[in-house]
Amino acid sequence: MGMLSRMSTIVKSKVNRVLDSAEDPRETLEYSYEKQMEMLKNVKRGVVEMVTAKRRLELQAKKAADNIAKLESQARQALEAGREDLARMALERKQTTILELEGLGEQISALELEQEKLTHAEQRLQAKVQSFRTQKEVIKAQFSAAQAQVKIGSALSGISEEMGDVTLAVERAQTKTDTLKAKAGAIDELVATGVLEDATVGDPLDNQLRQISSSNTIENELAGLKGQIESGKENKSLPGGES
Amino acid sequence: MIVRILTEGQYKLSSNYLDQLNEIDNKIVEMVETDNKESFHKLLEEMLNLVRENGTPVPIDEITESDIVLPEPDITINEAGELFTGEGLVPD
Repeated sequence: MGMLSRMSTIVKSKVNRVLDSAEDPRETLEYSYEKQMEMLKNVKRGVVEMVTAKRRLELQAKKAADNIAKLESQARQALEAGREDLARMALERKQTTILELEGLGEQISALELEQEKLTHAEQRLQAKVQSFRTQKEVIKAQFSAAQAQVKIGSALSGISEEMGDVTLAVERAQTKTDTLKAKAGAIDELVATGVLEDATVGDPLDNQLRQISSSNTIENELAGLKGQIESGKENKSLPGGES
Repeated sequence: MIVRILTEGQYKLSSNYLDQLNEIDNKIVEMVETDNKESFHKLLEEMLNLVRENGTPVPIDEITESDIVLPEPDITINEAGELFTGEGLVPD
């Protein structure tokens, strides 16, 4: 069985078919409409949750960026005080925080994408629900129960499918947000304890390469800072020497 | 026929494309079985583009049932795999 037939089955089974469940099919219309309104509320809530989660990550990113600047200046101060060990520690932390910031950036874009999709789903469902409402009123006003049965069949299965699609979108968005939240929490904790290795959970080779490049970066930065401080001293002593 | 791309919307598409869609679908199943990520995404894109380029979008307020449902554009090979093993996406 191909993916396409599986997809159809899944979407259709996402929403309980309400067809034939009521004696008067016109009641079925009302029931389905209630479900649609609920679904619409759900999607709206989903969008709000997405926005909140994104805002939280953006705050975290801002904090990380501030931290990077702070650690850099701490490293400089430490060097000026002749404490290379402290400077190295600050630079190591800075590297970790840079990784965190990169991760946060990726997560923020992922959330943005989900938010966009959900908003799109909301608009589609909204339009369909409105149109369903009109059809429902027409059917209720003009047709007997028996005639209504025929009229509502395709409208009901069409709207059920739409709701199935939206349900899947909401579920996926939810899962993604939860994963991101958990990840963000874990990274936060690791940064707090200053553990770099675990912050880059993944392929061991990747991690080692990253660590090498990260320690290279730290040594380079250390050398750069030393150079700056040295030339700063020279600059200061130059005018004095000339006068 | 009416084709739905999950999370994207519905298209009206000539049924002449059905064979082509089925052909790509079969290849996709193979790629999922052999865990060939790159070809999986390429084929999926090909399948979705076939619908997007040759179909016309169903008006947003039109309510109609689809004959075929295609997965969401960002489905991963793992998620596609779960479709077949009957875990994950299958409702309880």
